[in-house]
Amino acid sequence: MRVVIAEDSVLLREGLTRLLTDRGHDVVAGVGDAEGLIGAIGDMAAKDELPDVVVADVRMPPTHTDEGVRAAVRLRRDHPGLGVLVLSQYVEEQYATELIAGNSRGVGYLLKDRVADVGEFVDAVARVAEGGTALDPEVVAQLLGRSRKQDVLAALTPREGEVLGLMAEGRTNSAIARQLVVSDGAVEKHVSNIFMKLGLSQSDGDHRRVLAVLTYLGS
Amino acid sequence: MATADGHGTATRLHRVPAALRAPLEGRTWREFLYLLLNLPIAIVMFVYAVTMTSLGVGLLVTFLGLPVLAGTLAGARGLGSLERVRARALLGLDVAAPEPLRVRKGGLLGWVGALFKSGVSWRHLLYCVLHFPWAVFAFCVSVVLWVNGWGLLLYPTYQWALERYTDQPGFQLWGDGNGNSFYVDTPFEIAVTSAVGLLIVLGTAWVIRGLAQVDRLLVSGLLGPSRLATRVSELESDRGVVVDTAAADLRRIERNLHDGAQARLVALAMDLGLAKEKLQEDPEAAARMVDEAHGEVKLALQELRDLARGIHPAILTDRGLGPALSALAARCTVPVKATVDLPTRPAPAIEGIAYFTVSELLQNISKHARASRASVDVWRAEGRIMLQVSDDGVGGADTGTGSGLAGLADRLDSVDGILVVESPAGRGTTVTAEVPWRG
Repeated sequence: MRVVIAEDSVLLREGLTRLLTDRGHDVVAGVGDAEGLIGAIGDMAAKDELPDVVVADVRMPPTHTDEGVRAAVRLRRDHPGLGVLVLSQYVEEQYATELIAGNSRGVGYLLKDRVADVGEFVDAVARVAEGGTALDPEVVAQLLGRSRKQDVLAALTPREGEVLGLMAEGRTNSAIARQLVVSDGAVEKHVSNIFMKLGLSQSDGDHRRVLAVLTYLGS
Repeated sequence: MATADGHGTATRLHRVPAALRAPLEGRTWREFLYLLLNLPIAIVMFVYAVTMTSLGVGLLVTFLGLPVLAGTLAGARGLGSLERVRARALLGLDVAAPEPLRVRKGGLLGWVGALFKSGVSWRHLLYCVLHFPWAVFAFCVSVVLWVNGWGLLLYPTYQWALERYTDQPGFQLWGDGNGNSFYVDTPFEIAVTSAVGLLIVLGTAWVIRGLAQVDRLLVSGLLGPSRLATRVSELESDRGVVVDTAAADLRRIERNLHDGAQARLVALAMDLGLAKEKLQEDPEAAARMVDEAHGEVKLALQELRDLARGIHPAILTDRGLGPALSALAARCTVPVKATVDLPTRPAPAIEGIAYFTVSELLQNISKHARASRASVDVWRAEGRIMLQVSDDGVGGADTGTGSGLAGLADRLDSVDGILVVESPAGRGTTVTAEVPWRG
């Protein structure tokens, strides 16, 4: 897949490039700030050579606050097919809500630390590139923790709680099965139980499923 | 039993009305002594102030004038400090020493300049002058009334001496020089005289109190620190709290770095070093060590992140109090409802104080309250930002010195803020804090 990296620390930019290239992906551009990112994507869109996914840091020059989130929101609005994965030193549920804003297609929001687990990280980038979702477990934990529907959530079995968390992170049933070391069938049963207990209608597409869960937790 | 007895004594004492007790109380006599001493001291101070000031003014045409006047002011300050000691000993009036002289330049000139510029010096000189007429008046009134009062009251005890040792049977009330005169000598007359004396003594005790009160006002008004100086010293102590807090925070950060991330990085370096050595001979063990190192580095990253959030959370800078507090609430162990109603964002410093105040209160709830739910409310009320954190836990929060809440109150005090804790045992805790708004 074709990747654009926006990260102001040269060390990390080089590291990410090496990591993705090593796995056979194509890093087509590396930029150091949000303006450069939007410019680069604009140029590529003009030539009809849009990348599959953008990996962007939240804090970038000039203000070093939340440029990355704002640029990501704008890119997602301007180029609906583009996957955007935002990396951050901290994850805050607020930013996740802003990023998703009613559309969990091709969006990711992860802690920078997750880069340490190379395999999982590259999987997440690929998932976002294909239009899936990758939410950091910590964001999901925040969402689960502050959801107003604690009494309903308490009705889930511990295993169902785990499955719900992984589902909210954007994982497919088979990925959840691999993670929990159970069969696909067992996961499917848990998922339908969860949807029944939460009163949600069973939806087919993985990203729509994530959106349903997030909407449920956030409301 | 001892307690009961003590209590009984106290009650008996209070059965005598204050009006009758006053003449015999130590306080009245100490105040009388103060008024008595007023006269000689006031004379000394007045003579000193007037003579030295006249001398200084007279000498102004020469180079000696200014130093003499400055010396006069310095002397007045010295006399003032003696007066404060006298007022503390006899009037029980605790007046703090005024702000010390701020000599900015060295040498005689700097000292003279500082004396002339300080309002305190002039107030002390004014005291030396003004105190004199008042001291004369208070001395005369109190001595005449007090001496006559006691003299008449005690008349029955010495009337016999007049009869025996003088040619009069008692006090002569009037006489026309022709042998027609009236002496106070019958038991009834003596009793009436004594009664009049008693009335005067009772009244004078209160007159003495009134006079001493005026002296108290003179001392605290002219010899104490000015209101501005009091505020300055308050701010100085506040600055002390801020500096102490900052130093304590730095120590905490250093300790956390040292015990946490730094230690993990050392372990990581060690694991990697070992793995490097084993790489050739035992690749399996090397792989295990690299795996351990990988785990260490992830933990170190997490610790660094928590530490950085504790120093200043990024979301507070980026999005303000509302999102920052709701993120904080999400991390609390009990469900917390956070409501932030602010028209605009306050200054970053105020946001930081509000954030860390709520953070500490929520930590208290997690640790001590055993609550099932809590709420955080933030709103603005007339130039102040109000924070309220409530829970439905066990209550009875410790607000004594050295407790976390007392420390929090100190820190809020340093920005002119207030902390009110309401925590009846068994009925939850509500902590309200207010801090001046700065936009």
